[in-house]
Amino acid sequence: MKYPHGKSGASMSVRALWIVSHEKGESGKVRFSRRYPTVELRAKCLAGAQYVAVPEDCVIPQLLLTELGLVEPDKPYMAIRDDCARLQRSPAVELRLGGPGGKTLWPLLTISQGGLILACLPLIEAPPEPRPHLSSLASVSQGLALLSGLQGFLCGTVGKPPEPDVLASRLATLPSVLLQVCPLGTPLDTLPQAGALPATMAPGPGGAQKQPAWKTGVHRGRAVVNVALTEMVRSTQYGNSSKQDMWDVYGTVVCKCEVEGVLPNVTVTLTLPPNGSPLQDILVHPCVTSLDSSILTASSVDENDGSAFSGPYKFPFSPPLEPFRLCSYTSQVPVPPILGSYQLKAEENQLKLHVILQLHESVRNSFEYCKAHLPFFNRSLMGSVDVKVNSGQLEVSKEKNLLVWILGQKFPKSREATLEGAVHFSGHVAGPTDPLCTDLTAYIKLYFRVPDLTLSGCCVDQHSVQVYSSAKPRIVTTRELVSSEYYIWNSTGDAPVSSGLMIL
Amino acid sequence: MATRNSWDQRISAFLLSPSQFLSCTTPDSFLSELLDELRDDKPNDYKKILLLKLLLEYPTVLCATTSVGEGTAQELMSVLSLTPQKSVNLKCHLLLAITNILICTSCLDSQAKAAEDYTNFLFSIIQDTNDNAGGPSLHLLRVTACDCLREMEFCHPGLLSQKLETLYYLKQQETTALHQSYCMLYTRGLKNAIHLLTLQNDVDNAKLRGVLGGNEGFAWKSAELPLCTLPFSSMSHIPQLPTALDCKELKSILSLLLEESYLMTPTLQAAVLRELVEVVAMIPAVPPVIFKSQLLRLFGTMEVELMHAALLMKGTFTDSLFTTEDENFLLKRLVSMAQHPLLGEPDKQFYMDCVLHFPENRPISSSGEEGLPVLVTPRLTLSLLPTVFKDSTTMLCQMHLLSLVHLEADGGDEDRGLTYLFNHLMALLKIVENNGSKEMVVTTFRVSFIFLTHFHHMERFSEKLVDSFRQLYLRHGRLAPHLINLVDRIQECLAESLWPVQLLRALQKSIVEMPLLQLTLQDLSWHLKVLGRAAQESQIGQRSTVVFILNILINSNLCERRSWQVGNSILAVCRHLLQHPTLSQMFTEMADLLQHMSRNYEDTDIQDHARFYYTLTTNLCWAKLAGVLAKGPEGRQTKVRSWSAILADSEGLTNCLNVHQTDGCVLQLSETHEHIPRCEETVTETLKTPHEKGLFELYQEQLKTSGCAVQLTLRYSLTHAKGTDPRFDRIFTICLHFDTNTSHYEDVSDIHVPCLFRDRKPPVVELSLKLRQPFPTSLRLSAIFTTEDGLSWHTQMPDVDVSFPEIFLPVPLPLGTSRECKEEVFDHIWKSTSSGEPSSSATSLFCFKTGSDALADLIKGNFEDYLVAETWDQSVWKVFTFLPPLCHVLLMIVQAEDACQIHIATDNWELLPHIGSYLQNITALSKNPASS
Repeated sequence: MKYPHGKSGASMSVRALWIVSHEKGESGKVRFSRRYPTVELRAKCLAGAQYVAVPEDCVIPQLLLTELGLVEPDKPYMAIRDDCARLQRSPAVELRLGGPGGKTLWPLLTISQGGLILACLPLIEAPPEPRPHLSSLASVSQGLALLSGLQGFLCGTVGKPPEPDVLASRLATLPSVLLQVCPLGTPLDTLPQAGALPATMAPGPGGAQKQPAWKTGVHRGRAVVNVALTEMVRSTQYGNSSKQDMWDVYGTVVCKCEVEGVLPNVTVTLTLPPNGSPLQDILVHPCVTSLDSSILTASSVDENDGSAFSGPYKFPFSPPLEPFRLCSYTSQVPVPPILGSYQLKAEENQLKLHVILQLHESVRNSFEYCKAHLPFFNRSLMGSVDVKVNSGQLEVSKEKNLLVWILGQKFPKSREATLEGAVHFSGHVAGPTDPLCTDLTAYIKLYFRVPDLTLSGCCVDQHSVQVYSSAKPRIVTTRELVSSEYYIWNSTGDAPVSSGLMIL
Repeated sequence: MATRNSWDQRISAFLLSPSQFLSCTTPDSFLSELLDELRDDKPNDYKKILLLKLLLEYPTVLCATTSVGEGTAQELMSVLSLTPQKSVNLKCHLLLAITNILICTSCLDSQAKAAEDYTNFLFSIIQDTNDNAGGPSLHLLRVTACDCLREMEFCHPGLLSQKLETLYYLKQQETTALHQSYCMLYTRGLKNAIHLLTLQNDVDNAKLRGVLGGNEGFAWKSAELPLCTLPFSSMSHIPQLPTALDCKELKSILSLLLEESYLMTPTLQAAVLRELVEVVAMIPAVPPVIFKSQLLRLFGTMEVELMHAALLMKGTFTDSLFTTEDENFLLKRLVSMAQHPLLGEPDKQFYMDCVLHFPENRPISSSGEEGLPVLVTPRLTLSLLPTVFKDSTTMLCQMHLLSLVHLEADGGDEDRGLTYLFNHLMALLKIVENNGSKEMVVTTFRVSFIFLTHFHHMERFSEKLVDSFRQLYLRHGRLAPHLINLVDRIQECLAESLWPVQLLRALQKSIVEMPLLQLTLQDLSWHLKVLGRAAQESQIGQRSTVVFILNILINSNLCERRSWQVGNSILAVCRHLLQHPTLSQMFTEMADLLQHMSRNYEDTDIQDHARFYYTLTTNLCWAKLAGVLAKGPEGRQTKVRSWSAILADSEGLTNCLNVHQTDGCVLQLSETHEHIPRCEETVTETLKTPHEKGLFELYQEQLKTSGCAVQLTLRYSLTHAKGTDPRFDRIFTICLHFDTNTSHYEDVSDIHVPCLFRDRKPPVVELSLKLRQPFPTSLRLSAIFTTEDGLSWHTQMPDVDVSFPEIFLPVPLPLGTSRECKEEVFDHIWKSTSSGEPSSSATSLFCFKTGSDALADLIKGNFEDYLVAETWDQSVWKVFTFLPPLCHVLLMIVQAEDACQIHIATDNWELLPHIGSYLQNITALSKNPASS
């Protein structure tokens, strides 16, 4: 290339892409790699004398695992791996290639999942020295989106790598997927989910209306709109006046719309009860056509001033064919659905337990399931368990030092469930360990799901879903409340801080 | 199936390391094999795509020059034209490979004919909008063609600058999802065209109209104009069009592009927005407000690339697009994204970086220092305070950001945030104390480092931290290297900080006060490490250390345990103590310690060293002693290094003990073109009386007994490879290691060469090969050697090829055997092989055309050593070669009227292909001597 100034126009490209697998105690292996030589050529022009070439695949795993601290797991300390001053500005790491002058390659973006490491090297348009900020490099967010797409493609939404044969077949289809998604290093789209092949484009509708690129065809047949609202509730309760209990919810609205037309209009409206606290940090899918600025104003970063906009929240959009996350939000709800109290008392070789779980009156007493886990760490294995509950059943897993209290579908009429008794730890066999839960630091973790309920009161009224099309669609709306990270800490122990907001 | 497998293996070997793969073959020959395979009908599409991957990803490795690149591209284009319609995937991969080759081998820049043809071809593909002619099956091909053209425009900016109207028309025509590809192509072309315009002096309305209405060919010459990056954090250097231009048409084009961006995938939306930001930045007549309608959509998005696009707009246009309110809003949005429960950790970490470097409207300070934006306050970032439940990388990001936030906060109420950070660190230390995982340990020390670099001057924290680390160390001696590393790093970046010395002093105090009974051998080795580090600090008194060690030696069985390692660790501490400025104050104790060791430590090596130190201590003044023991500077001679490093496990020693890998090839073997047949000596005297028994029978008997001993000796000179790294100018004790990789050869033993200097005559290396089967091969070769600075190196060398003619030896008859006798043996073997004896025998005929002079030259040049007979009229020659261990190749060369015939006889039919290609080779050379 002839660039007298050695620079080309800015771009959003990646130089190379790797998928590396590593098993504990083994060296890593490149499972897939893809290089983009034209992008590399541009990188060379842009960086001039500071250009650092991408090393060959055979050395990539070792370099990568060293930076991620995964190399030589049996050695307690390695200077090259554990140096305290080596602060990688995640999500980008720097690979030290060694050799004369100590060349480094930056910024390598990585995502790890289970034994898989996905990495890509975006092209940076700025001179490599002084090192630019990640946020000033357009290709970094493109690289992140590419990686998370790749993660979704390989692993689905399960959160762990698939079985080896499934993984192998997904890796085998990757070249043809990348042909459509990132043929020459500049991403065109994100990858499809969980090993699916990118849909082949249906022929154009023939009209003047342009087909959205994120919609692979046109639905024909009966119109159905499905809107599912799921709210997750998080809580940390201490039962201690010196520590403030915390709880909040976050919700997502997932839609599946089977509606005719190239670019049909659908509007979904979320409403809150009259005194409901506003939905915060709303994020919307790119298919939403327009947004009212008031919808976005409430933020969890602000303190609520009561005057904030509290609905209705209208989301006009033109749906893609597949199910998609229309929007998500967080919310500060006034009360936790279940208020707990957990008290432990240590006596010789045994722990005395006293637990009260109180279901709030505003919550419908009808669960799909509700259970509480009471794990015990850093003790010998359980001996006799002498515990009584006023509701539900108790399961004891002695080898895991775990009590599981299954509360079932309903709390008792009083809305108060209690557990009381003692657990003996007398054996010589050591149970599970945990560096956090020592002495009387212990927790109960709750798992529950309540259908047809949201804590914020947020709902999608079936009649508020508007579809502008000829045929009258069938509209289905659902909602549910699910627990997520719901902890009740022993109030007689020393519980860790769970949020900086506690110092407010 | 066999070839299939071997291709799979070769492809994966190539991908793993092209340089290593090509060291066994040449790029040219591998390339021609690849192309042959691609031209072949048999392999299926999947396999061809695999093969193309190599050309696609490593075009410059396989095509070293522009001409090879052009030739390869032309080959692939002919493959493309023969590929059936239905093989769309393969066709697309071919397009990509051709594009990469043309761009990377500079065919595009030099406007090679292939590049021109190919670009026109791509353009003809994309002109079929809405799949009118080709049908939907070619859809993917069009997407690929668009992207190929876009990449060409990227690498050859301005190529499309005279085609804007055509591209605009195509973009408007297309209604399938592919419109986004056309849109990107047009936008990129437009941006570069405008950029080229800004570099011209007299731009008027007509010129601008001319560019937008461009309908001509490709602008091959345009890239000679300078193009530079648009920096988007400051507007100062962006070239701009004159303000007075009439940009109405341009504005409506941009508005339409923005409006239609909604129909693109988020990925391309972000890209197109980014391009348009740069276009607008170059046109003063179009105000940035044109983006206003898009902002709200971007602010609300859950896609990281779109949010980032909004932030980049902010950075480029600041207050000309963003009001103060917008700015506040965007920042708050970023903070809430940085902790949003529905986003992945990498995205959150990225948003934290966005907050840290948020481009504010207020004039940006010119210092370029990493200053925190003023809008980022402790209150705003409360929700980003770290907790122990976060994963390590997120926690470190949060710690970094929050430390900066609280460093700039001015006490008072905000102090609670700082206390929170400190308590967080304490909580981490507690987890480490309770046997947290290795990852947790590393994270905790990194958090400590971040905290200390910001707040080391605040006594209430630093003192507590010293105490916490001291207690932690008492419970977990294994943390010694982490603590020493922390001390080292803090000292490096905060030279004036007292904290490292405070910590070391506290650790020293705790160690020396430990009751002897509590000490384990494992703990002791950690303690000695810490004491050794403390002994390097002149501000820390060392008497207690000496007393402590002496006490252990006297009151435990350590001396009797004979542990060299512990003894060595003690000596390492002593070495630092001997250099300590307060040595005179503890002189007696020190002398006692060394003397005790030299007498009682039951390891001779340790005793010797202790005695040596003792002698030094008692005979030299401190200044001299420190001088002797001081570490030699890096890069000095080997002796200095090992002298001072012998007892301290310094970096230098590790360096010395490691074998380093060279970057490229440092050494090579090159042929000297002479080989010494050794076979004569192996044949015994009995053959001197040929006629008693048949000469042939004797010869055969002889071979049976001694033939296997015949060795092939090849001579090479060992030289430096191309590089000029001065470190390797003089290298020593070179050990060459060969890998035969084949069962046809016996293993080759290592060859040792004392030294190699760049400015001296290269040493000659004799490679002795024992063959099991007489086939050509190539030997993998590596070397280990030492450089002047005492470091050891390992390097991979180019493979050594043993070609077929190199295996030829004269028949192992005694030196004085007459030609007649040789001919007799020749005829014997000829007769028996012709009649199929032994059963592995074979005969063949090779014909070629040549003049009689050329034939004589050919024979003289190639067979002189092996000639056993020739007729007087030079029409028949007999060539008799022996191939170790037991084979013969017999050639009868007959000059006939119209052609020359070579009759071949051999007792090993497997040699025929090698003989054939060898003969082809030499006859081709003789026909066309100019090319040899």
